Amino acid sequence: MSGSENKDINEVNSKWLDAHYDPVANLYTFSSCVALADLNGDGESKLVVGDLGSGASNMKLKVFKGTSLMTENTLLDLPTGLVAFHMDQNEPRTPAIAVASGPFIYVYKNLRPYFKFTLPPLEVNELEQEVWSQAREDKIDPMSLKEMLEGIRNKAQVPLSVRSLKFLMLEHQDMESFVNMHKQQPIRRQTVITCIGTLKKNMADEDAVSCLVIGTENMEIYVLDPEAFTILSKISLPSTPAFMDVTGQFDVEFRITVACRNGNIYILRRDSKKPKYCIELSSHAVGLVRVNKNIVVGCTQETLHGCTQKGKKLWTTYLPASIVTMGLMDHKSRGFQAVLVGLANSEVHMYRDKNLVNIIKTQDVITSICFGKYGREDGSLIMTTKGGGLIIKILKRTAVFDEKDTTPGPPVAQSVKLNVPKKTKLYVDQTMRERENAVAMHRAFQMDLYRLRLTAARAYVKALESNLTPMSSSASEPLKMNAVVQGLGPSFKLTLNIQNTSVCRPSMNLAISFWYDEKLYSLKTSFFKIPLLVPGLNYPIDTFVECLSDKGISDVIKVFVLQIGRSNPLLTAHINMPVSEGMALC
Amino acid sequence: MNLFHKLSNWLRLKRQEANVLCVGLDNSGKSTIINQLKPSSAQTQDIVPTIGFCVEKFSTSSLTFTVFDMSGQGRYRSLWEHYYRDAHAIIFVIDSGDKVRIVVAKEELDMLLHHSDVKHRRIPILFFANKSDLQDSLSSVKVSQMMGLDNIKNKPWHICASNALTGEGLQEGVDWLQDQIRSLKS
Ligand SMILES: Nc1nc2c(ncn2[C@@H]2O[C@H](COP(=O)(O)OP(=O)(O)O)[C@@H](O)[C@H]2O)c(=O)[nH]1
Ligand SMILES: [Mg+2]
Repeated sequence: MSGSENKDINEVNSKWLDAHYDPVANLYTFSSCVALADLNGDGESKLVVGDLGSGASNMKLKVFKGTSLMTENTLLDLPTGLVAFHMDQNEPRTPAIAVASGPFIYVYKNLRPYFKFTLPPLEVNELEQEVWSQAREDKIDPMSLKEMLEGIRNKAQVPLSVRSLKFLMLEHQDMESFVNMHKQQPIRRQTVITCIGTLKKNMADEDAVSCLVIGTENMEIYVLDPEAFTILSKISLPSTPAFMDVTGQFDVEFRITVACRNGNIYILRRDSKKPKYCIELSSHAVGLVRVNKNIVVGCTQETLHGCTQKGKKLWTTYLPASIVTMGLMDHKSRGFQAVLVGLANSEVHMYRDKNLVNIIKTQDVITSICFGKYGREDGSLIMTTKGGGLIIKILKRTAVFDEKDTTPGPPVAQSVKLNVPKKTKLYVDQTMRERENAVAMHRAFQMDLYRLRLTAARAYVKALESNLTPMSSSASEPLKMNAVVQGLGPSFKLTLNIQNTSVCRPSMNLAISFWYDEKLYSLKTSFFKIPLLVPGLNYPIDTFVECLSDKGISDVIKVFVLQIGRSNPLLTAHINMPVSEGMALC
Repeated sequence: MNLFHKLSNWLRLKRQEANVLCVGLDNSGKSTIINQLKPSSAQTQDIVPTIGFCVEKFSTSSLTFTVFDMSGQGRYRSLWEHYYRDAHAIIFVIDSGDKVRIVVAKEELDMLLHHSDVKHRRIPILFFANKSDLQDSLSSVKVSQMMGLDNIKNKPWHICASNALTGEGLQEGVDWLQDQIRSLKS
């Protein structure tokens, strides 16, 4: 028990209690080979594991109770899947265990071997059979047998049996003995089981009798009778199934969702012999979990997709590392469901729909995840690690998962639908009008636009021609002027800043003239000459303006910069005089 | 067996009522322990899982001695706290054979100790490391260490290994509890 040792790598207010961690539990398995079941009917749920072992042998069926191994049975071949299911109505209602391994399903009752189901043999290539019968009668030597089999392998529709394939791999000196050892036995060709699930027969109860559903390497799905293990139904797929989820009841309505090796997910239903829906994934599936009615698939591209049971994609979430395994967290007594995703960075992420609600950091990469009742605790999370470790965590009674507490990305509010008002009659009428008169409207708009541009261009040319701007654009006398009015009135000080903007040519023979309403303003001099302007320097020229009105009105004073001998002004400035705020003194 | 006899005797002198709250996870043996503590005439043979809670009253002529046997099932554990205020003592039962759930028992104990009706009271707590007869059960020392009992500073506490099926260890615990209540009330 090392619960307290690993506190430091978990968040301080973790939602989980560390019940047990055994780094050397010697459990090497995947989520498909782990189940929780009350095997003895004593109200205590046990952990059943199909252990793949660490070498070529060492495959075992192990049962854990609490923190310790209760029993183990040797398995003959690698397990590919394990399920607990009720195969009959007998009391006490203890489940049987089915372990899929190669072409067989081993069924255990009370942890004792009870039945072995073998997949029906496949059709054998006739030519192959023919060649082997010749070999049996010693009509051909191993060398020519090899040649003929190679010929068949390259052309035939029906693939060779495992025996022939093995034979073709042998070195020359081993061939003879191989032929002698096998030639008397008939040739068999068999497929293997790739995934296994359970399907309730005709009742929805937790402990109702269930059929086994298996997917095979030769792209088929079989549904088996719970007691007789006869094939009740057989469905062909376009590809080999890798992950499977089954829901419903065989006699009523069911749905089998399979993620296949061609990167597609197929959804099968009771009434059709062919897949009903197909979801094309952008990368291969590495895990499949059903949450209520939706399917959550993990893909090799570090993505998690949510889909409806009709095959419509709902959302995609990007993960920080690649997925190693996936599991469903179904906390029945709290009505809480989520998807647990074991990542290559030694974290387990918990998703509700596309929202990340919890992160569990683990000591090692998790290869199998199983959530459910273990012992007497409903909220137990059992995980095994890449290094063969066993981790047991228990959900705290007080833990609540806040949808938004760790969610990166768009806020929850973004998915709230806005209450968009209904389209009004006016809106509809306008839309109709726009649709019907589109061409005319466009033309009217274009005409007005050209008119506007023309007017603007004319005004611009006029301004340039009459030098109405405070910048002189004439090449010979480039000048710039701005004016500042100071004072509150009735006396104002008018400062004109004049600058010669040429690089090296001084400006000469310039004069300034003012134009104003003589009833409103008086200026000491309304015309004066300006001295020579050195390029680049700023020449402030002051003059005083007296406002003659006390009626609070103001007007424009125009300033012209003239060159002696030219009739057009070089520059024009309009000065908007401020309203005189002081009392008229005169 | 009448293990609460002494306690009842003492309480009769004081003419006071003592409320004892019995808590612990489901299946730890609370009901079995309380059944053992009852006068033999009142003992029942079958113990079924407690739903909600059961109140057991052992009455003598002028005294009512009340034990609240709380259900330990997860969904009922939130009921416990409603009885903390009126409890004069707490019995906390731990299944020392259930190693996986010791952390859950510790979590529940920590919540109990931090509850406002318990936190600042010198309320005595008796721990039973029950089912000590089971093959690979934890010793009371180990249970006490895993439960972090040493951190309880402001309350008298005591742990004893027990076997509720035979009654072993219960007497020792009850004697301790009796002394505690006496010293607190006097
Ligand atoms: N071996 C053993 N079993 C016990 C002991 N105490 C109780 N039990 C059993 O544990 C189970 C649960 O007991 P129960 O009193 O109902 O637990 P409660 O839920 O805490 O009230 C029953 O089957 C008891 O027989 C004990 O000390 N040793
Ligand atoms: Mg009880």
